[in-house]
Amino acid sequence: MTSADAGLPADRAARVSEADRLARVVLSLAVEPGDVTTSSLVRQLGPQGAVREQLVPKKGSGLPDRIREVDPVRELEQAERCGIRFLVPGDAEWPPGLDDLDHVDSVQALGGTPPGLWVKGPMPLTELATSVAVVGSRTCSVYGEEVARAVAGTVAAAGIPVVSGGAKGIDFAAHDGALLAGGASVAVLACGVDRVYPQQNRRLLAHLAAEFAVVSEQPPGSSPTRIRFLARNRLIAALTRGTVLVEAALRSGALNTVGWAEQLSRSVMCVPGPVTSYVSQGVHVCFRRGGASLVTHGSEVLEVLGASGQHLVEVPRGDIRPRDELSRGDQLVLEQVPVGSPAGVVSIARQTSLHVRDADAALRRLESAGFVREVDGGWRLAGAR
Amino acid sequence: MAFATARTLALRGAAGHLIDVQVDVSPGVPATTLVGRVDKSLSEARDRVRMAINNDCGRWPATKRVTILLSPADLPKGGTHYDVAIAIAVLAADKAHEELTPDLLDGWAFIGELSVSGGLRPVPGVLPMVIAAAARGIDRVFVPEPQAAEAGLVPGMTVFGVRSLAQVSAVLRGVEVPEAPPVVASSASPLATWRGEGRLADLDLADLDGLDDVRYAVEVAAAGGHPLMLIGPRGTGKTSIAERIPTILPDLTTEQSLEVTALHSVAGILAEGSGLLRRPPWFAPHHGASAASVLGGGSGRVRPGQVSLAHHGVLFLDEFPHFRADVIDAMRQPLESGEVTIARGEEAATYPARSLVVLAANPCPCGNFYGHAGGSHGCECTEVQRAHYQRKLSGPILDRVDIWMQVRPQGPGRGRGFAAPVESSADVRARVEDARLRQARRYRDCAWLLNAAVPGPVLEERWPLEPAARHLVEQELADGRLTRRGLTRVHRLAWSVADCAGVDRPGTAEAGAALVLRSADPSRSLPAGVVSRVAS
Repeated sequence: MTSADAGLPADRAARVSEADRLARVVLSLAVEPGDVTTSSLVRQLGPQGAVREQLVPKKGSGLPDRIREVDPVRELEQAERCGIRFLVPGDAEWPPGLDDLDHVDSVQALGGTPPGLWVKGPMPLTELATSVAVVGSRTCSVYGEEVARAVAGTVAAAGIPVVSGGAKGIDFAAHDGALLAGGASVAVLACGVDRVYPQQNRRLLAHLAAEFAVVSEQPPGSSPTRIRFLARNRLIAALTRGTVLVEAALRSGALNTVGWAEQLSRSVMCVPGPVTSYVSQGVHVCFRRGGASLVTHGSEVLEVLGASGQHLVEVPRGDIRPRDELSRGDQLVLEQVPVGSPAGVVSIARQTSLHVRDADAALRRLESAGFVREVDGGWRLAGAR
Repeated sequence: MAFATARTLALRGAAGHLIDVQVDVSPGVPATTLVGRVDKSLSEARDRVRMAINNDCGRWPATKRVTILLSPADLPKGGTHYDVAIAIAVLAADKAHEELTPDLLDGWAFIGELSVSGGLRPVPGVLPMVIAAAARGIDRVFVPEPQAAEAGLVPGMTVFGVRSLAQVSAVLRGVEVPEAPPVVASSASPLATWRGEGRLADLDLADLDGLDDVRYAVEVAAAGGHPLMLIGPRGTGKTSIAERIPTILPDLTTEQSLEVTALHSVAGILAEGSGLLRRPPWFAPHHGASAASVLGGGSGRVRPGQVSLAHHGVLFLDEFPHFRADVIDAMRQPLESGEVTIARGEEAATYPARSLVVLAANPCPCGNFYGHAGGSHGCECTEVQRAHYQRKLSGPILDRVDIWMQVRPQGPGRGRGFAAPVESSADVRARVEDARLRQARRYRDCAWLLNAAVPGPVLEERWPLEPAARHLVEQELADGRLTRRGLTRVHRLAWSVADCAGVDRPGTAEAGAALVLRSADPSRSLPAGVVSRVAS
């Protein structure tokens, strides 16, 4: 490990000591993401203490050697040259939501606040305070893609950044939908922010890095692995105020993100699919487990996320027909007025068990409302000829 | 020798028969008889031929007994194209014309209608007649001059386009051919002001934004020749996308091109000088059309209908539930077997009709019902009306439709974002061509060309699905979401999906996509990965 007095911008170093920052760089480079031991060491001993502790040789562990190989100053400089910044807790831009990760149980032995975040792109992460995650299956259906696009578009148009994982399928649709609506979008990756994965989303990821932000706890250059995807999911949940799940099969990684959102007491919103659809099975499991809100449109996401009483959505109803507004008595009378040959008021009154006078009054009201008309021999429906 | 034989052809449906016109001119009570089951238009040939000979080519043997026999005698014959053969046979049989001996007529076929002055008028069906003549070993043919190009499309045939009977006679005798006034080309001419003709040529799939899944369905339909149904509210682009299907079909092969051109020739709609039709034809009859116009028939000659004229091309039936019930019912045969038989009295003509059938329907009579959430949709139909209309969309015809596609309204002015740019017709056509090439290789020793035509049992035996895919499809059958007939259709579709994707044997992904394509359930949607191949 090298000494701590490397030339870093003064404003960043204001609240976080350089030694701490470099120690976090070391941890970020040497330790696999989501390592619970390391994050609890950082919590108890601080980053420098954690590095020291991890340097103690343990049988069968190559970690001390890996830590010794890291040159954090050079790494930071190299990242800076590529336009990548390294955020640590205490920085003004550090998203406070990530700190919640230290206070919840681990999932699949992964967890904890990451030692730092590598960020590429001009958007300050403080803007993620109101953000929402839209995640789902990579192998989605046309339906899922359209819904994800629409939900992300509505949410983004309301000024709320849309966070997703930059993958194919729902992730892509969410980013693309948000951008098309003129909103902001941020990708949280499982590989280094300078890497392109998947290749198909090359143009999208380049655009996000140029205009908004691409985020990872993985240092630049690292490749995506299965474990890293799982670890990344906790960041998506922690960075946002709520997670919208659109289409997930039973083994989808997106369910893992939802699990984290539940752990972190973030809002969980799910978009249902056809019950026969394989790619919506995981979503439906979420509903059955309870805790997930059902959303069908972006405006309903806004309602769930907004403060109480804000962004209220009008409850959709069927058409109100004129008949629905009649009183119960009038409806009874109307039911007895024939379509064909007219019926007299006496017979109508008998069938409705009303007094002739009341039945007559009801018929007059119905006549002025245009439902019935009086003809020779009694009453019949107005529509009939 | 007082008799002579000249050859011509008779068309029965798409099949051509070689007809011997045998004429005997001998002493006896002067009379002219024409035998061999001739109809009205043909029996008038006696008068046309007599006048033509008298006015152009010597004298009619008026003092002799002339017997004209068309053989085989039991085949009903109609039409006016027998005139030239009859006239030449009469001339050769009559000893008054010594230079024209009966043996000069060997190896020739004669096609054409005669005018009073002896001129040769064009007749419909020249191309299929010449094809049939070539198949029966005849290699020289006389046709009316405007149709020489059409007849010349048949390889190995020596075609003489002539203007008059005297010219025919001169060519046969090997003497100098006399001048004759040009023949009137055809009775029809396009309206001078009508400029809509080229409209379809300018269309391209790239004109349409969105509708990615519908484009995909159309691609699969085109690749495998699967009948396709588009259902969607008014104004969602059903017609627009259907009109563009010909743009993604490959050029016709020489064989297909001859078939299509021959059918158009029979119908008499072949424009002069158009040569072989190279591009797949497109026909879109109105929903008020009669069965005769859509399927074939008509009074007099049995003409091929639009379903046959669209052979190897696209037949688009917009507003399908509004078609007449007899038309809907009769569509069953072409959908099932790729041909259509028109039976009338003792006459039955069979025409090929293997077109890509594209049907379109609204979800309700007024066409505004969206069938899913999204606020007021402005549909004014009652539930009963909708149910009645939907019933027309079910039943035996629609069991024969392979692909059911919902066309949903597109959001206002959505761009493409970072999604793959809209593909042009040329891009899609390249894939369709590839897919058809794969099918051609697979079915090289078979009677069919495309997946949609493979018989179910053969498909099961020789080209099964992957076991996992098979299991997936059987599961649908067990769940009651698929019929046995539907299973075969899904199987064929899975092959088309695989051919479009360049996959060697359909697996679960292909079978899954096929199940969605086949299903009329609007809540089942295609995997997004299948629909948009490239994301950026």
